[in-house]
Amino acid sequence: MMRRCVTAFIALLFFAAPARADQLVTDLSEHQIAIRSNFTGTEILLFGAVEAARPGSRALNRDIVVVVQGPVRPLTVRRKEQMAAIWVNHDSVTYPSVPGYYAIASTRPLEVTATPETLKALRIGIENIDPGMPTARAIDGTLQILPPDEERAFWKALIRNKRREGLYINVPGGVTFLGQTLFRATVKIPANVPVGLYTAKVFLLQEGEVVDTISSPLYIDKRGAERFLYRMAHQDPLLYGMIAVLVAAFAGWLASAVMSRR
Amino acid sequence: MQIYLPIAELPVSILTILAMGVAVGFLSGMFGIGGGFLMTPLLIFLGIPPAVAVGTQTTQVVASSVTGALAHFARKSIDFKMGGVLLLGGIAGSVSGIYIFKLLAAVGQIDLAISVIYVLFLSVIGAMMMVESVQAIRAARGGGSAPKRKHHSWIHGLPFKVRFRRSKLYISVIPPILVGYFVGTLSAIMGVGGGFIMIPAMIYLLRMPTNVVIGTSFFQIVFVAALTGVMHSLENQAVDIVLGFLLVVGSVIGAQYGVRAAEKMPAEQLRALLAAILLLIGMRLGYDLVSTPPDLYSVIEAEPQS
Repeated sequence: MMRRCVTAFIALLFFAAPARADQLVTDLSEHQIAIRSNFTGTEILLFGAVEAARPGSRALNRDIVVVVQGPVRPLTVRRKEQMAAIWVNHDSVTYPSVPGYYAIASTRPLEVTATPETLKALRIGIENIDPGMPTARAIDGTLQILPPDEERAFWKALIRNKRREGLYINVPGGVTFLGQTLFRATVKIPANVPVGLYTAKVFLLQEGEVVDTISSPLYIDKRGAERFLYRMAHQDPLLYGMIAVLVAAFAGWLASAVMSRR
Repeated sequence: MQIYLPIAELPVSILTILAMGVAVGFLSGMFGIGGGFLMTPLLIFLGIPPAVAVGTQTTQVVASSVTGALAHFARKSIDFKMGGVLLLGGIAGSVSGIYIFKLLAAVGQIDLAISVIYVLFLSVIGAMMMVESVQAIRAARGGGSAPKRKHHSWIHGLPFKVRFRRSKLYISVIPPILVGYFVGTLSAIMGVGGGFIMIPAMIYLLRMPTNVVIGTSFFQIVFVAALTGVMHSLENQAVDIVLGFLLVVGSVIGAQYGVRAAEKMPAEQLRALLAAILLLIGMRLGYDLVSTPPDLYSVIEAEPQS
């Protein structure tokens, strides 16, 4: 047993060392984004370098793909149907874990970077997001089974809606090489971005195969007054509601006091 | 200049919100209404989630109705007894309205319900007011007498009669409680004070004298809207204090100019104008209900399944 382990270890060293591939070194311009009252969206800069296994070698067919993904949440997609002339939300499909934000940037368009199978296996690309097992419901809330092409229409609609909101972004050519090893990518963070823990994943592909990946965290959260108010609204909703109403009543009283003085 | 709203979770332009507040405040001062039925669709149009629009709107209703109620208190044109009875129904209505709101939101029909109710009430009340004010304008021009009001005999047949001195009425408490309940429910679902329903109901159904109607309605709305606001923040966490504050500031300023503008206009024409506005908004929302939406699919956050 012991001997076998040692043999395996030696074998690993032996085979791994010559095959040592190019490696990534990356970082983000910011690891924390604070949403304050003046937040109107921002951009993060992701930069890095490829440490070539054999220095000086020219890399051909080398690609960098950057995926920034937000926290997952359950989402429901609803489809309207016309009932008695009025458009009514009818069938719905709920996906248990949909990223609230998904941005992808690459040196070249994804289609030429790797085969569809590789991209699908690595969950690279908006179409390859895994939202978990969908549950379809009819208008009265009962579970139903939708044909696959119908279900796909719901998934496509979700992507379409998210793209429209600027939360799913695809930038082919968004990663640029500066010379042989340095690269950079800017990723847009829109104002309506959900808060939570994000991951920025960088893939290094060579001839369509992933050679190295690196992932770094990014934390987006409300700060200052925004955080205080949001927390209060959720942790102490009664007090929050009473303050909101009292402030409004006071403003109303103030207005009438000012008016009657004139 | 943009400001990020902590509950609605999106940035809005401060000037846009203030301008909306001023415009709605102007109309509310002019017509003696809360203006919620104008503000809620505007907020939804801006991209504020419907639940947050409805919840936040209640704070603006509180502010404008406090101003209105105080002005009428100074003129002694509030029937406190009638207001109290209406309020009794209103509180019960508001509580049930919140639960109906939650239920409808859970089954995904809240937007539809809000739109349908708006279209229904705006067009019915708008048409009624329009007919009435056109008749009044004609009567004033022709020198003829305005059509006499019919008396509802069935209302006088109901039990629990109470004397409302200020309104010079001796009627059963059941109709006012029902009116209060009904308006309270609608106000919780629609994010409005409900003055535009309450006032016609008081005039045509309860036969209250016009001079106490607006003051009493304001008095009652202060409390129903306050309760609705607290309930919305308790049940749905849907009150955005920052948005509410901006709306309140705008509407308070607008209302003062509205009141002054109203003094220069004859009452019948003012009512015809309000009727036209109600009808226009009703038609606009009605058109949205029947026209094919640009995207048949919509995405919302799912309720966490427990």
